[in-house]
Amino acid sequence: MDTLETEVDRLYRSQFGKMLSSLMRFSDEIDLEIAEDIVQDAFSAALVVWRKDGLPVNPAGWLFKVSRNRALNKIREAKKFGRKSGAQGGDEDGVGEGAGEGEGNRGWDWPGEGSGGWGWPGDGNGGGDGPGGRNSGGIEDEQLILLFACAHPDLAPKVQVVVSLKYVVNLKVEAIAKILGLTIDGVDKMLLRARQKIRDERILFKAPSTAALQSRLASVHKILYLIFNEGYKSSWGKELIREELCEEALIMTRALSRSKAGNEETRALYALMLFNGARIKARFGKEGELLDLEEQDRSLWDQDLIRLAMVNLESANGAGGDDYGAGGSLNVTEGSLNGAGVNANGAGINSYYIEAAIAGLHCAAESWKATDWEAIIKLYKRLLRLQANPFVELNYAIALYYGTYKSEALEILHGLERQALMSQYYLLYASLGRIYAAEGNKGLAKEYFGRTLQLTSSPDEIAFVQRLINKVE
Amino acid sequence: MQKFMLIIREDLAELKRNGDAERYRRMRVMTAWAESLQESVNFLGGEPLEIPRRLVTKDQVISDGPFIEAKEGISGFILINAENLEQAAAIAQGCPLVQQNLMAIEVSAVLSRNNPSGDGHA
Repeated sequence: MDTLETEVDRLYRSQFGKMLSSLMRFSDEIDLEIAEDIVQDAFSAALVVWRKDGLPVNPAGWLFKVSRNRALNKIREAKKFGRKSGAQGGDEDGVGEGAGEGEGNRGWDWPGEGSGGWGWPGDGNGGGDGPGGRNSGGIEDEQLILLFACAHPDLAPKVQVVVSLKYVVNLKVEAIAKILGLTIDGVDKMLLRARQKIRDERILFKAPSTAALQSRLASVHKILYLIFNEGYKSSWGKELIREELCEEALIMTRALSRSKAGNEETRALYALMLFNGARIKARFGKEGELLDLEEQDRSLWDQDLIRLAMVNLESANGAGGDDYGAGGSLNVTEGSLNGAGVNANGAGINSYYIEAAIAGLHCAAESWKATDWEAIIKLYKRLLRLQANPFVELNYAIALYYGTYKSEALEILHGLERQALMSQYYLLYASLGRIYAAEGNKGLAKEYFGRTLQLTSSPDEIAFVQRLINKVE
Repeated sequence: MQKFMLIIREDLAELKRNGDAERYRRMRVMTAWAESLQESVNFLGGEPLEIPRRLVTKDQVISDGPFIEAKEGISGFILINAENLEQAAAIAQGCPLVQQNLMAIEVSAVLSRNNPSGDGHA
């Protein structure tokens, strides 16, 4: 890649989503698909024109201008040929100066060139309200508005994640497929269906109302959580793109928690990400092998992030309880977490708070031995009440074991083993293997590790289990 | 959020012919899928069903019933949380075995007092 291509690539990452949302809010007649074509065209044109004429003073502004002019052409064309907008693009090299200004004016509030009203790039203000005073329910960040748009309630969470990675994080289809372990074709299909949904409903990319923002907040949290997790997943090893994904999720969550649309749950989610992010550097050993909490060098944990997480967790607890003391110790008392934000259906709405509190307790422990398992057990109990499923039960049982409630732990684990679905879950056997290894029962430990190996095909996981087996011997 | 039941339908005769190894392979796929649903806070629980069954009517008990012959017999169920019927269906569509055309999933909201008409709108 030469410097020009690198620059265009960088601009793509930072501007693609913004350009899309600006175009779509520019006119009702521009839908997601058309906007995407226009913006893609603008980037292709940029490569050609810039190679000939050199990089313009304001490259992002250039791209916006070109795509806007193309959008105007598109709309005029559509007018000419009736309501059906032709799929053909307008003029070929695109820069068509003066195509827009003053023509076809139906009162769209295009900002004056460089006035920055729409958050044009290079104006140093990332998107203040437009001259028309667009009502965006209290969020100014273009990226966040786009994120809420992607949280369409009819889309599966996984599809919402794909759409967000495409239009908010500005990843290309190939990268999304790689990250999510999907085929390029699969991602394309998801995007196709999502775009249809978005077009049919026509609710996207208009400035969302406060009510819409509130009803979608939980889905937005889920998207951010899933994006962070995709970056954090241990099974992928140390790839740079993954840490970037965690960062993207962190930045968006921070922006959301600072906007009017964010709430306590947002801050809890932010705290959860920060606690996990603080340990990112300690998760792999010298040979790139995955290390668990017990093995990690705690001096590598980022204390600044942990402190920031603590502050956010504290402010996320509006329940009036004092689960989280100022002195950096967690006092988890029965019932104190049942306050604000807990959804009546128990659909895991405030589970981020509990998960963050658990992560916080791990971060606050000076050593593995010093971990406050009693408090962690209580939190898992509460999590189970919100989100009863066998996967949470498994984690609860592990905490019970380390909290020295050994027989209760084993009872739960062996119970899970009898459930057909869970009997095919490698982590159940990995956990049983570790527990029996810790108990000094080499035979059972090896048997369970053996079962674990039968149930996983990921090389990193196999290496991890193999290391556990070697330890036993 | 509403609770939905995903009723899993497979060719039971084929399932029986293929034997345990294939059934467990499919189960592993479903377990991994359930794990991903749990990550998105959608998974509540579920179990596969054994194949032998009885059809009970007023006057008789029929061994294996007509189901075993049906192309799409009920082979298991999963309970999930979803925003609405549309999303629940979209989630079910993401099941890898549905994608491979090895099963079909019937999606229905669990009737609740909040939604007694059961018309699927939260």
